[in-house]
Amino acid sequence: MMKKMIKYNWFFEQSPETVWKYLTTSELMAQWLMKNDFELLLGHKFMFKTNAHPELDFDGKVYCEILEIDPARKLVYSWKCGDGLAMNLDSIVTWILIPKNEGTELILEHSGLGELKNTMLFQAMNKGWDENVRVKMGNLFNIKPQNETTGN
Amino acid sequence: MKQQAIDPFQAVGDPNRRQMLRLLSRESLTINALAENFDMTRPAVSKHIKILYTAGFISIEDIGRERHCMLKQSGFKQLQQWIDYFDQFWAVKLKKLEDMLSEKTKKL
Repeated sequence: MMKKMIKYNWFFEQSPETVWKYLTTSELMAQWLMKNDFELLLGHKFMFKTNAHPELDFDGKVYCEILEIDPARKLVYSWKCGDGLAMNLDSIVTWILIPKNEGTELILEHSGLGELKNTMLFQAMNKGWDENVRVKMGNLFNIKPQNETTGN
Repeated sequence: MKQQAIDPFQAVGDPNRRQMLRLLSRESLTINALAENFDMTRPAVSKHIKILYTAGFISIEDIGRERHCMLKQSGFKQLQQWIDYFDQFWAVKLKKLEDMLSEKTKKL
């Protein structure tokens, strides 16, 4: 069975407040995660940039929107990426911070990875379907005048 | 015994067959379990399954006395690649964050 969520539990010796700062400050995020134009505002739309991976149909841009902020406890943003034409991956990234032994347990959940709408399969299918209809329509238009001619 | 090829666009052009693919994208199902989702006769369901099978969208495997349908698409392989990629990606990034934080603590 295909795994549909990525989950990591990571322990840090630093406090949740410190870890939170590294999760939500653009310059710090750029150092460990990716270049970004992140701002800690609910509904803020931002982008991460990394190297492109053509073999994955990934142009290296991740489009995000902040969905939930609970300071030093929880941060949720959408995580969409694709090849620049279609968003092939429409997922959610959730960070949960739990105080533990004077440090922080950080839980990362990257979810929503398994729905059919997110797969290239369905997009390719829909795209192919549209193109097929267009070709058929084109054929109809070409054939129609001939039919009319023979009909007359 | 050459099976006549079926236009894949014709295969996915039918809303019932698209719904079957959607259901199979979540899990593999026996033909009986799949049929339960549709208000049609069993032969009608079989006909749709045969079309999807012939068009190369699904594979059918006999397990015990049941016939199991599963999605057969390169799109799913690609999805698995994305998941593998981000799985690895996060592991590397979290390690980097850990290193950065412990570096910072040392300096204090």
